Amino acid sequence: MSIQETTNRDENSMALTSTTQKPNDCTFQAQLQSLIGLAITHPEIEEVLQAIMDEALRVVAGKRGFLAVVNYDTGEVVIKSTAGSGWTERTKKLRLHLAQETNRGITGHVALSGKPYMTGDASNDPYFLSFFPDVKSEIAVPVIEAEGNTRGVINIDSSEADAFDAGDIVRLESVADVAAFALIVNDFRTRERALIEIGNELSSIIDLESLVRKVVDVSAEVLRYEDCSVYLLDEQTDLLVLQASRGPLKESIGQATYELGQGITGWVAQHGEPVRILDVASDPRWRGVHLEIPREEMGALLCVPIISRDKVVGVIRVVRRRTQSSWFQNNFTEMDERVLTTIASQLGAAVENVRGFHRLLRAERMAAWGELSAKSAHMIGNRTFALKGDLNELRYILNQPSWTEQHDDLISLLESMEHGVTRLEEILHEFRDFVVATKVTLQDADINEIIQEVIAESFPKRSEIKLILQLAKDLPVVKCDETRLKRAFSELIENSVSFQPHGGELLIRSRLTDQSEQSRYRLAPSRQYVQVEFIDQGPGIPPDTKSRIFQPFFSSRVKGMGLGLSIVKGIVEAHHGIIIESGEPGKGAWFSIFLPTQRNESSAIKNGRS
Amino acid sequence: MAKILIVDDELEVRTALKRRLIREGYAVEVADSAESSVKLLESEEAAFDVVITDMSMEEPDSGLRVLKAAIGHDIFCEVVVLTAYGNVTNAVQSMQLGAFDYVEKNIPGVDTYDLIVMKVEKALERRRSSINIVRRLEDIRPSKLKSGA
Repeated sequence: MSIQETTNRDENSMALTSTTQKPNDCTFQAQLQSLIGLAITHPEIEEVLQAIMDEALRVVAGKRGFLAVVNYDTGEVVIKSTAGSGWTERTKKLRLHLAQETNRGITGHVALSGKPYMTGDASNDPYFLSFFPDVKSEIAVPVIEAEGNTRGVINIDSSEADAFDAGDIVRLESVADVAAFALIVNDFRTRERALIEIGNELSSIIDLESLVRKVVDVSAEVLRYEDCSVYLLDEQTDLLVLQASRGPLKESIGQATYELGQGITGWVAQHGEPVRILDVASDPRWRGVHLEIPREEMGALLCVPIISRDKVVGVIRVVRRRTQSSWFQNNFTEMDERVLTTIASQLGAAVENVRGFHRLLRAERMAAWGELSAKSAHMIGNRTFALKGDLNELRYILNQPSWTEQHDDLISLLESMEHGVTRLEEILHEFRDFVVATKVTLQDADINEIIQEVIAESFPKRSEIKLILQLAKDLPVVKCDETRLKRAFSELIENSVSFQPHGGELLIRSRLTDQSEQSRYRLAPSRQYVQVEFIDQGPGIPPDTKSRIFQPFFSSRVKGMGLGLSIVKGIVEAHHGIIIESGEPGKGAWFSIFLPTQRNESSAIKNGRS
Repeated sequence: MAKILIVDDELEVRTALKRRLIREGYAVEVADSAESSVKLLESEEAAFDVVITDMSMEEPDSGLRVLKAAIGHDIFCEVVVLTAYGNVTNAVQSMQLGAFDYVEKNIPGVDTYDLIVMKVEKALERRRSSINIVRRLEDIRPSKLKSGA
């Protein structure tokens, strides 16, 4: 309803304004305009609605009033903002069930009919429901959204009989339009925030699982749905496999599948087009293979393809329950579809990112494998060649009649062979560690405990090196593979010890990574990291080799194949962490390992315990 | 006494080969890289009859560098190249460049050391005969050689 119309109608009721102290048109118009301004500029919807309700009460000179919004999922009308006197914490929490045939009240009636209503004789009104004893008049108008849906109701009462007239309805409808506008602006804000949040998150997450979970959580906030499921297309089998869901389907993640073209989900994947329907069960494509909510309760469905590089890589579907009342159309809007499509396209880009990353890792690893095979064959070959020489010599000595007198020669041969066998074992050891570095089983663990155990196992009992430990207390839980992480830590400790043969210092430190470091090393801003540092006073890493130390077969030590630091890197990356070396050449090495902490839930549990 | 140079980056390999060749009655020197062996081969006092070099050291084809340096300094120097088992690509190239022969380090069931000793003996024979041929050429046709110069 336009403001222009309001003023025209208002002229008819001019006679009443003098007695009930209603404001004049100019003040009202100015008020409406300032409320619209507030809705645009003010970030807190509660305060905007409060200002709107204060004006609603003022413009019709009521005693008290409230704005209630319809919850389409529960079929309730819930109070969101109040104005005037006499409200208590209890009355502010009142809800009306629209599904009930009786006791819906005037508010419920207006919500269902979408039409304004007023009474000047409350006690004899058929709809009236008494919350306050002194009410004699009541007026209520619907808050209507762009698509014509009733979003809520503004309700004002008065202790005087016949307190409201047709002009009040018009005025209140103008206020309701502003309220609808404020709610829509707020929806946009929420959506924008959510989309930005998803965007930020998606660019920094490298494991698909948490990525998809995040998408499901954020879209829940935006789209008011009952449940959401994400299916991704398996490149090998061409099946859509469930990756995330919030409700009962959670149990079937990784198992529930759709074939291309099967059901609505399969149709969307096959055609690359979205589907938005009000009544799922009536759609001929519907098969109801995997249900988020019981078959008879399934209502509206919105299903959009996840597209990456012009190819469908998956499907997001959101569902709503069938509504309690036939008055309501609980369908998804075109706006909902646009929002979900935006989310889906962001997810598509992120899926491509993650897959590309893994492809790269695989390729890198395959290349490393080839080099590993050649290198280890060479090294094993050389050791075997040397051992063969020793055996050859042994036979020669034993063939001589005087061999018993060559005791010293035999002992030195024996030592050489023992040494050779040890070297072979070292190579096999490194080979195995390199192969299994990325195969981790992650479990919650206390990083400080791991550090202390590694030191007990790997730091030499008698050493010229001074060991300093600085372990931060109350660190959050880290998901890790203890055995592998210990292997990584001990490699760094052994490195430091072997590079400081004449004594020195090794500082091992654990702490929570601060924001500035997190952004410096481009770690996911939404995650928390624990960092473990190994700082020594050895020769450090020369500037020209700094970039190569984590590559396989790079070694400045004689021992093994030079896989040591590449194994450490492999282990850290399998933990979704990173490792960097930032020491000053000549002054010592400084290795920092950053490991993501467990998501809030479990660290909260941990804090609760301690 | 024939002089032999062993070039290999693995201490164990150098030790085992040196021990065996000394036992066979040769004078043996060792170098632990292509780089250091080239320095040794290009020095004035270098006089090795046979050079035994590993193929893969600093580079996968480091042995070729040793080979070129050895022959470049003394055309009669014989070079035996050691290669990884099953890797004959570089071995063929080294034969083309004038190596006496190549020996695979790890041949199952073969006593590589006996094989190397045999190759060294053969290499020394060829060296002796090559030198003899040149001397006889010089003796028989000194005038022609001079006039051709």
